[in-house]
Amino acid sequence: MKAFMAVLGKELLEFMRLPGLVLLILYIFTIEIYVAGAGITLEARNISVGVVDYSPRVTSTKILNHLHMPHFQNPIHYTSQEKLFEDIKNKKIMVGIVFESDFEKKVYKEGGAKLNLLLDSTASAQAFLAQLYIQNILYDYQNAMDLSPIIIDNHKLFNPNAEFTYFMSITELLAIITLLSVLLSAAVFVNEKENGTWDLMLLMPVEPRTIILAKILSQVLIIMAGTIMAVGLVIFGIFDAPFNGSFTIFLLLTFFYTFTSAGIGLFIAAVSKTIMEVAQLATLIMMPMIFLSGAWTPVYAMHPVLEALSYVSPLRYYIEGSQSIFFRGTDIIDLWPYFLGVISIGSVLFWLGIRKIGKLF
Amino acid sequence: MRISVIKAYFKKEMKEMVREKLIIYLYVIPFLFILLFGYGIRMEVLNTRTLIIDNDQSKLSYEFASKFEHSKYFNTDVQTLSEQDAMKLIKQNKKDLIIIIEPGFQKLLAKGQKVHLGVFTDGSFPLRAKTIEGYAMGTIYDFFFEKFKHRLDMKGLITVNQRNLFNQAMRDEEMIIPGLIAFIYLVVPAMMAAFLVVREKEKGTIFNFYASPIKKEEYLLAKLIHIFFLQSFNVIILWLIAIYIFDLPFRGSFTLYFASSMIYLIISASIGLLASVITSTQIVAIILVAIVTVIPGFLYSGMIMPISSMGGEAYIVAHLYPVMYLTHLMHDVFLVGDGLNASQNVQYLLILIAYAMILFALSYLFLKKRLK
Repeated sequence: MKAFMAVLGKELLEFMRLPGLVLLILYIFTIEIYVAGAGITLEARNISVGVVDYSPRVTSTKILNHLHMPHFQNPIHYTSQEKLFEDIKNKKIMVGIVFESDFEKKVYKEGGAKLNLLLDSTASAQAFLAQLYIQNILYDYQNAMDLSPIIIDNHKLFNPNAEFTYFMSITELLAIITLLSVLLSAAVFVNEKENGTWDLMLLMPVEPRTIILAKILSQVLIIMAGTIMAVGLVIFGIFDAPFNGSFTIFLLLTFFYTFTSAGIGLFIAAVSKTIMEVAQLATLIMMPMIFLSGAWTPVYAMHPVLEALSYVSPLRYYIEGSQSIFFRGTDIIDLWPYFLGVISIGSVLFWLGIRKIGKLF
Repeated sequence: MRISVIKAYFKKEMKEMVREKLIIYLYVIPFLFILLFGYGIRMEVLNTRTLIIDNDQSKLSYEFASKFEHSKYFNTDVQTLSEQDAMKLIKQNKKDLIIIIEPGFQKLLAKGQKVHLGVFTDGSFPLRAKTIEGYAMGTIYDFFFEKFKHRLDMKGLITVNQRNLFNQAMRDEEMIIPGLIAFIYLVVPAMMAAFLVVREKEKGTIFNFYASPIKKEEYLLAKLIHIFFLQSFNVIILWLIAIYIFDLPFRGSFTLYFASSMIYLIISASIGLLASVITSTQIVAIILVAIVTVIPGFLYSGMIMPISSMGGEAYIVAHLYPVMYLTHLMHDVFLVGDGLNASQNVQYLLILIAYAMILFALSYLFLKKRLK
């Protein structure tokens, strides 16, 4: 125990002696998360609209009045379709709407009126949303004219206004926890390997397992401190995110997860000799882990091979678990699959890592 | 500037690269990235896990449910459950969408009264929630406008006649792959370059540089050219993968694609070099590079979300990072094909060149030829 505390203290001290690293980590856990949460949205917002209107502009104006912030900018009128097309190409306009000259007549007399929509679909997800908004505006317009027999009551559960801030800041935090715990914990071992002090550590009359666990715990503590800071200051402090679960449970899951992903770091450290190799291996393992974890695309929507692979990624369990704790307010008893997934993957990694790195020869 | 000195350094770096087997990573990583993300990122929502709670059990409600069952967007279960149990399924992340049909649904509609329909979506992922809600509303309206055609005043009905430009089928691949290529050009060379100077500092071999008559610009250029040379093969490899594996159109000019990619390689290698010059340990250099490349490359590039719909800070940040300009050019060469005829493309290309020069100048400034 004494040896354990000594190694733990040494690692924390070493961390504090690198002011650059300390600053970087402070920055990451605060400003980085703030910027991601405050500024980035996957939503279609501020969509620029261009209109060519050949009709008498009565019904068309009524419809255009429904296009407003936050989804749409004020429509810009064009005199010809060519000019509109030109601006769509230069990415100045994302949605073009064209009303034919017989539009009015068709709405009131002949029937079969059509609204022509030109969409810049380079960003397909947003183009799709823009199209949905316009479609829904038309439905609403027709509803107002008492055409539809039904009323749809929409409820977005857990996040009624579909706020991206909470989602983005939490996803960013989870990605950062992964990134840092893998890199930092791999570095504490490989640094010693590069300096040649690792062999000395193993020669000490202390169980290698004790040293390894103490070193890992030191990095886990650093990251946990950062996480608490990020959640407290940024996610709750600035963004005032709703929280439907238990904070203790979230910290517990984070603790296990940080250990598990530090286990990935341990494994990487065991097989590489230089920091350079660590970085290469870490990118190779982490990038797919972060972006294929289900944070950006639901796992069931991926290619079947990737879906199968995601079962061995601890981040998959952590992200789903954290989202359930933060947003869905899942009962504690229903969270067991996430804990089981994280802990079992972690155990395997530690078993492998300690076997490989804990021996001199 | 002496070519022979640069050549000697270049040779040394190449040998090290091969001896440390890093050359494998250099070509494996981009290949893996593009395959993994190309197949793994899907913004469109298919097979939404849907639950329809049918409390009416009438002919109309069956027809309504089967409309959902036959759509590729929904993977539908029809059950009779209490609302509470249904909410529990959403909480356990087993369902994404729940539609509740109240008793008396058919009767009321037959009488011509308005009927309420409850649609519940899981809002923990807002984009998905909105898309799912949009699909569901569209399907519902479609069903009823079709069903009650005879009694509505159909003349007032306006339909949308839609044309998708540049990405007709709205395929996710066509949006993601060009952005992904820009992302790879940003991350991989920067990561490689990040080590070049700081590793010598840690190992102590930097004293060779301090003590020898090699000039700063020769030293930096040698390192830069080495990365540039190795990465330039990736420019061709990624292009082939995009076109032959992901079936992307290529509407622009290859020259523009090649030129802008090459300029960009200089930029990202310079970012790595700069990080390498200003830090003193490898681990700090890597984390620094990861922060300034991975996250901006993904979020601020316009690959997943258009720059025009970003808010305040992020809009500015996006313009500060060079990756957005390259992504725009990549979208142009693959999907639009305007090339240098569009003034915006020329402008962006010039901005990239300026970035390359500024970044190289900065690492020149910060590199010192003596101990601190």
